[in-house]
Amino acid sequence: MPMIRLFYNLIVLYLSLHLIGYLFRWKKPWDQAGAALVLTLFLLRLFLVK
Amino acid sequence: MIRKIFGGAAPAVLSLVLTAALGFFSGRSFRTMHRAEPIFPGQGLTAIRLLSDYFPPLKNTHGDTEVYLFRGKEKGGNLLVLGGTHPNEPAGLVASVLLIENIRAEQGNVFIIPRANASGFTHSDPQEGNPQRFAVPTPSGPRLFRLGSRLTNPVDQWPDPAVYVNPAGQKLSGNEVRNLNRCYPGRAKGFLTEKIAFAIMELIRQEKIDLGVDLHESAPEYPVINAIVFHETSSELAALALLDLQAQGYDIRLEASPVNLRGLSHREWGDEAGIMAVLLETPNASHGRLKGKPSSALVVDGKDKFYAKASRLGWLFVPYGEEGIPLALRTARHLAALQALLGALAEIAPDKAVQIEDMPAATEVQERGVGAFLHPPS
Repeated sequence: MPMIRLFYNLIVLYLSLHLIGYLFRWKKPWDQAGAALVLTLFLLRLFLVK
Repeated sequence: MIRKIFGGAAPAVLSLVLTAALGFFSGRSFRTMHRAEPIFPGQGLTAIRLLSDYFPPLKNTHGDTEVYLFRGKEKGGNLLVLGGTHPNEPAGLVASVLLIENIRAEQGNVFIIPRANASGFTHSDPQEGNPQRFAVPTPSGPRLFRLGSRLTNPVDQWPDPAVYVNPAGQKLSGNEVRNLNRCYPGRAKGFLTEKIAFAIMELIRQEKIDLGVDLHESAPEYPVINAIVFHETSSELAALALLDLQAQGYDIRLEASPVNLRGLSHREWGDEAGIMAVLLETPNASHGRLKGKPSSALVVDGKDKFYAKASRLGWLFVPYGEEGIPLALRTARHLAALQALLGALAEIAPDKAVQIEDMPAATEVQERGVGAFLHPPS
């Protein structure tokens, strides 16, 4: 795996973990659903679906 | 209580599970765009090569693509047919597949690249709402083909420059850097699209191609349509083919390749490699600006009420009735033009003649549809 791709994946992983953190911190279901939708896109990027 | 049920960890876990499921299914669907539909070559096929065989740096990139070779029994010329230079112009792809699945070469050699810009087939034009695939009906059910984009996938080549100066020195808008038909004669160490163009030039040089035919489609409101665009090396050839086609009842015109419009196949194949170079255009509503809702049916049946109205108002360069211009007719036009060009080539340069057997007759393709000549879906 090229270094740049590894670096990119680490950034996306870091942001994904933050989003998961938000999911559990936020109390309103709508906020959680919003975070989940953004998380979907991040996961797709993480697994390099492009 | 309500807050406890709906505002705690449970919905968060549920959201996570839904996220994973959504990611999995949408990811799986999206990835299928990278899977090229199978082509089932007929008995006449000699070999399947890769474009990277002619230019190894293309290997293991999304620019690499299959080259189908049909060697003739007798010596003759070498013909190159390109489909899918622009993957949103489906008649070029379908005509190439029709050839691969049916023909035998009797004299000379035939090289066919059905997906010239393979990367362009892995995505769709943004903001167009195009279907991912179109379905060609065959006697055994519909056969699916990818409807791609005019340009190389930005995932494979990004970012675009503000202004693109192509290998022939022409200044173009930035996104043309991903348009294969603006990147000739290519650069060995350039962008991916330039490398694809360079590999095609290498094929032309290494296989000593005599005649190159690039299959395209254009929107009905575009002036270069129902046309044979020719390099000056092939003016006599194109004129003879035109007479033949007009005698068969096809409304078709000649367009000389502009000397100052650089980077296009019909210009650079002739200038750089000295071969006879021709580009064919048929009318396709599905990538025009005046179309209604994009759909598989629009690609295949070619019926569009907005184009019919535009035609009545005199806005188009081809007659466009309510019956539309179906894929069968557009493919038949490509086949008829190819046959006429080969007839003209045999007249002009008998030692470079290419004789193809079992090519579906254009009139039959028009009558019975493309699917009648395609391999059943797997």
